[in-house]
Amino acid sequence: MEGTSPVESSKDEYFNLSFRQLDVSDIDDFMVWATDEKVTRFCTWEPYTNKEDGLNFIKNTVLPHPWFRAICIDNRPIGAITVTSNSGNNRCRGELGYVLASKYWGKGIVTRAVKMVADTIFEEWPHLERLEALVDVENVGSQKVLEKAGFQKEGVLRKYFIHKGKCRDRVMFSLLSTDPRI
Amino acid sequence: MDKIDLSRITLRPFKLEDADDFLLFAGDDQVTRYLRWKTLTSKEEALEHIKDVCINHPWRRSICIDDRSIGFVSIFPFSGDDRCRANFGFGVAVKYWGHGIATKAVKMAVPRFFVDFPDVARLEAFVDVDNKASKKVVEKAGFQKEGMLRKYAYHKGKLTDFVVYSFLSSDLPIVEP
Repeated sequence: MEGTSPVESSKDEYFNLSFRQLDVSDIDDFMVWATDEKVTRFCTWEPYTNKEDGLNFIKNTVLPHPWFRAICIDNRPIGAITVTSNSGNNRCRGELGYVLASKYWGKGIVTRAVKMVADTIFEEWPHLERLEALVDVENVGSQKVLEKAGFQKEGVLRKYFIHKGKCRDRVMFSLLSTDPRI
Repeated sequence: MDKIDLSRITLRPFKLEDADDFLLFAGDDQVTRYLRWKTLTSKEEALEHIKDVCINHPWRRSICIDDRSIGFVSIFPFSGDDRCRANFGFGVAVKYWGHGIATKAVKMAVPRFFVDFPDVARLEAFVDVDNKASKKVVEKAGFQKEGMLRKYAYHKGKLTDFVVYSFLSSDLPIVEP
């Protein structure tokens, strides 16, 4: 599913932002953000150290993923945004995740990407009622993205999850299919 | 209603001999209304449930009055990166509602569970937004309300909002009245 959107940053740079599938041919662009400690700090995974691991990730996780999109500028991947699906009684719920190369931080790109997902995912997945995101309490940048994108902060789940060996608090955000779009 | 002396309330593992008493609450729609269980319909089903679910469960206890089963407390730890938390649930036979029994049972269960599972840091209870009675129980037992999760999951066919409550091992001790 592709969508394009011009994004203006505070520095008056014009970005031609789009989504597309991430493929093995994108491996070099993938490695730019996947090897960066700053980027992976709040991810569940450690920075990648070799191309082969990166290629395996693309083949084994990205290609079969229910909803994985590369965030692109001028069709070059600079990050990724994902929605996971659930089944049974939990099928109404999907979890949002995203990652962006640090060079592009601070320009409103992820906020714009999240809004693009919010505009299309509920039509693509009619069974989806709730898009949620769980963010580390210290990840203020990500919390701001979700607030600006129109998500509601529902609460802090204390000692919710083990992240890189430590039990951490997570902030729960959600956007319902019935919520107003910003 | 006669007042019940809460010192008669104990917790213990389930036994097959509890089947008739188990059916009294597990066979009652009013009790199972907010549980994920299907209401049981026979002693055979009660025996099966005790054998297959209760006895093998990581932490399920019968709430007893004079050692007769009148309800349950159920705590289920997750695994992997979620292993620091456990899901908390409970139910009591309707005949025994309104005496503070569930609150007492929850207060007894919480510290015992943390002794048995020292690696679990968090108990969480997801309470249906309409389940006022259970909200009162967990609040009186010292759980902290963290927020409301909107349209979080289906419960028996209905898209449901859940209030999430937690009790951390670091929240102990509970002050007994």
